[in-house]
Amino acid sequence: MNKVREMITLKDVSLITCIVQKGVADDIVKAASEVGAQGATIFYARGTGIRERLGILGVAVDVEKEVLNIVVANEQVDLIFEKMFLAGKLDTPGMGFMYVTPLLKAATYIPQEILQKLSTEEC
Amino acid sequence: MEREIKFFKLVQETTFRHIEVSFNNLVRHFDRKDRIRLEAIDVYRLLYPYASIRFKEQLKAVIPLVLYLALFQIFFLRQTIEDSLTITLGIVAVIIGLMLFMEGLIKGLMPFGELLGNKLPQKSRLPTIMIITFLLGVGVTYAEPAIGALKTAGSNVNINKAPYLYFMLNQYGDILPIAVGIGVGAAALIGTLRFLKNWSLKMLIYITLIPTIGLTILSILNENLISTIGLAWDCGAVTTGPVTVPLVISLGIGVASASSRGSSSLSGFGIVTLASLFPIIAVLLFANGIYYFAPIDINNLANIAGQQVNSESSLLDKTPYLEILLGFRATVPLILFLLIVLRFVIKERLKNANYITYGIVLLILGMIIFNIGLTYGLSNLGNQSGGLVPAAFSRLDNIDNSPLYKYSIGVMIALLFAFCLGFGATLAEPALNSLGITVENLTNGVFKKSMLMYSVSFGVGLGIMLGILKITFDLPLHYLLIPLYAAGVLLTILSSEEYVNVAWDSAGVTTGPVTVPLVLAMGLGFGNALGVTEGFGILSLASICPIISVLAMGLIIKFIVSRKTSRDIENIKNNIVKETA
Repeated sequence: MNKVREMITLKDVSLITCIVQKGVADDIVKAASEVGAQGATIFYARGTGIRERLGILGVAVDVEKEVLNIVVANEQVDLIFEKMFLAGKLDTPGMGFMYVTPLLKAATYIPQEILQKLSTEEC
Repeated sequence: MEREIKFFKLVQETTFRHIEVSFNNLVRHFDRKDRIRLEAIDVYRLLYPYASIRFKEQLKAVIPLVLYLALFQIFFLRQTIEDSLTITLGIVAVIIGLMLFMEGLIKGLMPFGELLGNKLPQKSRLPTIMIITFLLGVGVTYAEPAIGALKTAGSNVNINKAPYLYFMLNQYGDILPIAVGIGVGAAALIGTLRFLKNWSLKMLIYITLIPTIGLTILSILNENLISTIGLAWDCGAVTTGPVTVPLVISLGIGVASASSRGSSSLSGFGIVTLASLFPIIAVLLFANGIYYFAPIDINNLANIAGQQVNSESSLLDKTPYLEILLGFRATVPLILFLLIVLRFVIKERLKNANYITYGIVLLILGMIIFNIGLTYGLSNLGNQSGGLVPAAFSRLDNIDNSPLYKYSIGVMIALLFAFCLGFGATLAEPALNSLGITVENLTNGVFKKSMLMYSVSFGVGLGIMLGILKITFDLPLHYLLIPLYAAGVLLTILSSEEYVNVAWDSAGVTTGPVTVPLVLAMGLGFGNALGVTEGFGILSLASICPIISVLAMGLIIKFIVSRKTSRDIENIKNNIVKETA
C-alpha cells in the first residue's frame, strides 16, 4: 500500500552567490528575503582578493568570509541581486563579490495548495 | 502605443546606475600589484564597521561595571561622583585603549604565538623550548595590562604602617613585575612539561601548595612581612590576563601536539592554574629576600619617603610621559624577544610583515592609552567608591551625617554591594562564556554552561564579599585564605581530574583587565577609609572561592548523576523481576 511519491522539478531558477566578510551575511539575507528570497545557505570560507591591494587599510577587511547561496526565480533575479549588492555595500572596495548562475533544475517540497492553485491557473 | 515597465525598474533607473563591462576587458587592464585608490567615503565605509564592532565589544565589558559603581554611589551612599569629567574621560580612554590593545594582540602578537607553537617543537630540542617558554612567561607578564594597576595601587599604601609593602610597590616597583614574571615563566615551563609527561594536575596542585602555604606561614611569623601576604596572593590573580593566557597556552599546545600527546580533551588546561599559584611563591620569596638581604631601615622611613617626593618632579614621572614610557617598557621587550627567537632559533620569516607591524603599533598605542585611562578612570573611580562604601556603617570625616545607616544594616549593604559587583562583573566576562562552552562539551553536557557560569560568578561574588569583610574587621588574610585553600584541597582530593582542571582554571579566567584594577583600587580605597594597614587580598579571595564553588558543583552533579543511574538500574531490575514473575 505504498503511496505514490512524486517529485516536482522547478524550472526557471537561478543561484545568487555572494561572498562577504564574516558577520555581514545576515544583513544581506534579511535584505534579500524582504524582496522575495525564500531562504539562504551560508557557509564559512577564507579568501583573498582586493584586500592585498588596499595597503594598510587591508586590516579592516576580514580574511574570513561568509558565502551566501540563495536560489531565486528568474523573474526575481535582478531585483534580489541589486538589493543584496546594496545591503552588502559591495560598491566599497574589499566588501565582497557576487554572481548569478543559471540552474538547470531544482527540486524540493512544494505545498499541495500551491500546486492546486497553479494547476487551476493553467486550465 | 502601450508599454509596460516594471515599477522597480523605474525606481532603479532613477537611483542606481547600471553599467555592463566585459570581464575580458577588465582583466587586461588589471595588475595585481596596483594599489587601489580610495575615496574618503570608501575609507569611512571600510573603517566604520571595523572600528565600531571592536569598540562596542569593550563598551559592553566596561560600562555595566562603571554604571553599577556610579549608581551605587549616588543612590545608596547619596554622594555625587567627584571629578566626574576626569573619570569619564579616563573610562573612555580605557575603552579605546583596550580596543586598540586587543586588536593589536590579535594582529600583532598572536601570529608570533601560533608560529612559535607550530614551529618551535620541530626545530629545537626540549631544553631550548623550555628556556624559551620560561622567558616568554616572563615577557608576557610585563605586557599584561593589569600589571600597571599594581604601580598605581602602590601610591595608596601607608609607608609607616606597612614599610615592606610600600617598598615593594614603590622603590622596588620595577622589580616586582619581574618576580611575578619569573613565577609565570616557571608556571609556563612546568605546565608545558605537564602536557608532555601527562602529569596529573591534582599532584601538581598539592606539590605547589606546600611551598606556597609554607612561605605564607613563614611570612605570618615575621611581623614586618605580614603586610605583604595580601599583595603576594593578589599577584596570582593579576597575571592571568588576555596576553598571558592565549600566548602561553598556544605554545604549550603546540609542544604537546608536536609530541603527539596533545590528543587529550584537557590539553590547554592547567597552565592558568599554575600561573596563578607560582607568582605567589615568587613574590613571597622576593619579600623574604628583601627582608634578609636588603633590610629596610625602619627608623629612617620619613627620610626615604621624603626623597621619593623630591624625585617625583622629573619630566618622566608626569602624565602622559610616564604612561608612554610604561607602555613601551611593557611591550617592546616581549616583541624584541619574539623577533629574536623567530630570527635565530626558528629561522623563519613572518608573512604579512606590514599587518604585524600595524598590530604592534596598535598594541603599544593601546597599552599607553589604557594606562592613562587606568590612572584617571578605573583606579580613580574604584578608589573613590571603595573609600565611600564604609560610610554606610562607620563615621567618615569627609562625609556629612555618616554613618548613613545603622551599623548592622550598613555592613550588610557593603557586603551586598561587594557580592553583586563580583557576581555581575564575572558573569559579563567573555572568557567565562567560552570556558563554559568548553566545559559543556568536555562533560558531554552534564555540566551545563550556565551552571558553570553561575557557580564561578557566585564564587567570585562571595570572594569579594569575604575580602570586604576582611578589610572591614581588619582580619588577617591568612585566617581566611588557609581554611579556604584547605577546603579547596579537600574537594580536589574528592573530585575527578577533569573537574579539578576546570575548577582551578576558572579562577584565572575570571580576572580580566577591567575587573582587576577596579577591584584592587576599590579594596585599597576601602582600606584607607577605614584606616587599616592594607587593602590587598580581595582578588586572592576572589580566586579561591570560585574554585571551591565549581568543585562543589561538580561533586553535586556527580552525586545526582550516580544516584539517577543507580535508580535506573534498580527500576530495570524490578521490571525484569516482574516480567519473570
